[in-house]
Amino acid sequence: MKNHEILPYIEDLRKRLLAEGGFASRPGGKYRPDSNAWAIMALSITGTDTEFLKPARIRLLKDQLDDGRVTISPEHQDVIWPTSLAIMALHGSSDFDVPKSKAVTFLLNTTGEHWAKRPDEPIDHNTAIKGWPWVVNTHSWVEPTALSIIALRISGYESHQRTQEAQLMLMDRQLPKGGWNYGNTRVFGKELHPMPETTGIALASIGGQAPYQTIERSIYYLKTNIDKMQTPLSLGWSILGLSACGERPVKFNKWVIHCLKNQNRYGMYDTAMLSLMIIAFFADNGIVKLLSATSKKD
Amino acid sequence: MSQVHWTRREFLHTVFVTGVAATYGASLLQGCVKHQETTNTFIAKVADYESDIASSIIAGIRELSITPSEIKGKKILLKPNLIESGIGGIHLTTHPLVIRGAIEAFLKLGAKQVVVGEASGHTRDTMRIIEDVGLIDILSEDDIPFVDLNYDDVYTIPNLQHFSKLKTLSLPETLHEVDWIVSMPKMKTHHWAGFTLSMKNLFGILPGIIYGWPKNVLHYAGIDECILDINAAVKPHFAIVDGIVGMEGDGPIMGTPRSAGVLVMGRNLPAVDATCVRIMGYDPRKVSYLRKASEFLGPIEEPYINQHGEAIRSVLAKFSLEEKIPAHRKLL
Repeated sequence: MKNHEILPYIEDLRKRLLAEGGFASRPGGKYRPDSNAWAIMALSITGTDTEFLKPARIRLLKDQLDDGRVTISPEHQDVIWPTSLAIMALHGSSDFDVPKSKAVTFLLNTTGEHWAKRPDEPIDHNTAIKGWPWVVNTHSWVEPTALSIIALRISGYESHQRTQEAQLMLMDRQLPKGGWNYGNTRVFGKELHPMPETTGIALASIGGQAPYQTIERSIYYLKTNIDKMQTPLSLGWSILGLSACGERPVKFNKWVIHCLKNQNRYGMYDTAMLSLMIIAFFADNGIVKLLSATSKKD
Repeated sequence: MSQVHWTRREFLHTVFVTGVAATYGASLLQGCVKHQETTNTFIAKVADYESDIASSIIAGIRELSITPSEIKGKKILLKPNLIESGIGGIHLTTHPLVIRGAIEAFLKLGAKQVVVGEASGHTRDTMRIIEDVGLIDILSEDDIPFVDLNYDDVYTIPNLQHFSKLKTLSLPETLHEVDWIVSMPKMKTHHWAGFTLSMKNLFGILPGIIYGWPKNVLHYAGIDECILDINAAVKPHFAIVDGIVGMEGDGPIMGTPRSAGVLVMGRNLPAVDATCVRIMGYDPRKVSYLRKASEFLGPIEEPYINQHGEAIRSVLAKFSLEEKIPAHRKLL
């Protein structure tokens, strides 16, 4: 594999480290915890030394509250979705076991809003199955649930009841014709459209766990559309989703590099997107196995 | 261009005052008469997306008495509806050629810069939408920046109106950097709100990193109430509604295309939306957020809206609603 083709992009990412510690959300941009977590993950799996990453991990903890949650900013303490990303970013270093464990505890003790569905509700999915929300006191949706599953799986909670129930939630939110969107299946009797990025995230979280035949239609959706994907979120997550299911595309490296070169067309990618592409490039068997292996090396 | 005469407004106002209370009830009337200033809207007939849309928009801006000095040297944010992309989805999103028309119009009228921004509500990958719908080619050719408002830096303000449960509103920094905010929605029905037009389109200003995908925080806080809070806080300057091909039935995603062949414009968003609802064949006073908006954001009653350009009756295009959808039943 021509790893050298991706090296300039890794260097671009390294340059986004801020003097205060932590990574900027984009070149010249401000700090954001989700961007920081993604950059830490991407650089740790490419072998960047832990001392370089240590200030970034310490910065991540400034947005961690006593109960373990990591919020998007100090003034948005209900916005908890960065917590799962923080777990993934802290996972690569044993120096951060305590805050990581607190974040895991927070996830295990937190759910979205769930209820027994009333017969007259226009939505089809099972509203009682618990997952995780973007923001506290709202319903659970596909992406925060899938990211939490990844965080819990790499942390040794693969068999935990919350992880298992969340996997059920994702299966329930899978579209009848294949794929996932943000998390609604049918509304007022009509099946909604799938989206590549959420389909990839869902598969990346449950690939290797869910029986193949139960997710085959979603794998098919990605396989038949991936060659048309040009944007980092859709392509990156599609590669990671398929890789987790043993279906890593043969041309993944060509597509990743092409997508990275597309910054001429779209403008510089933000830090999370750039990191996602780097991870997709290296994650032969999906993000769960890649992050798990990284911690073993550490 | 036809223009409604004062005498007709006077006549309609008399009819309104004496007759509507009996028809719609005193509480509704109370909601509608509080905002008594008149405003202007403009309807342009535009047959298809190959038409000279920029000229139609310039004609509208002039007809609405917007002076050159209001635009010259200003930075304009166009906020289209780019909620999702889909196969054959001409009716899903604001058409890129309408966006191009607006870019050309504002630049011709002397704007210093035009930027396009959106915080797509159903997907994090707004870049895929602008690629899928062909907007990226237009922006590249014209060297127009696109801001993904989902990931913008935010500032937070108190929610002063308190229609919803939200204590604060977190808004993208880009709003601070522009002189004009132009809401550019698609003319669509909506299965929760009844219709999604220039006011509802502002949901797409709030960053997903704060409100999630979908922006479920707003659903929990009340959709109608959040529409009012956001519009009161953001105070958009102008609206251009893409009704050339809209969406009827189970909007905003699963409906079907409905050609209305119009662009609807104006400075006052409740008035623009009320005009659109009338074009779509319904009574805006039955749309709860518009009814409430008429108390403090702008008029929705015909006597208070000076209709420029085409007359509503000449472009009437009945959009179908679905009986099984509760928000639609209230409108039928």
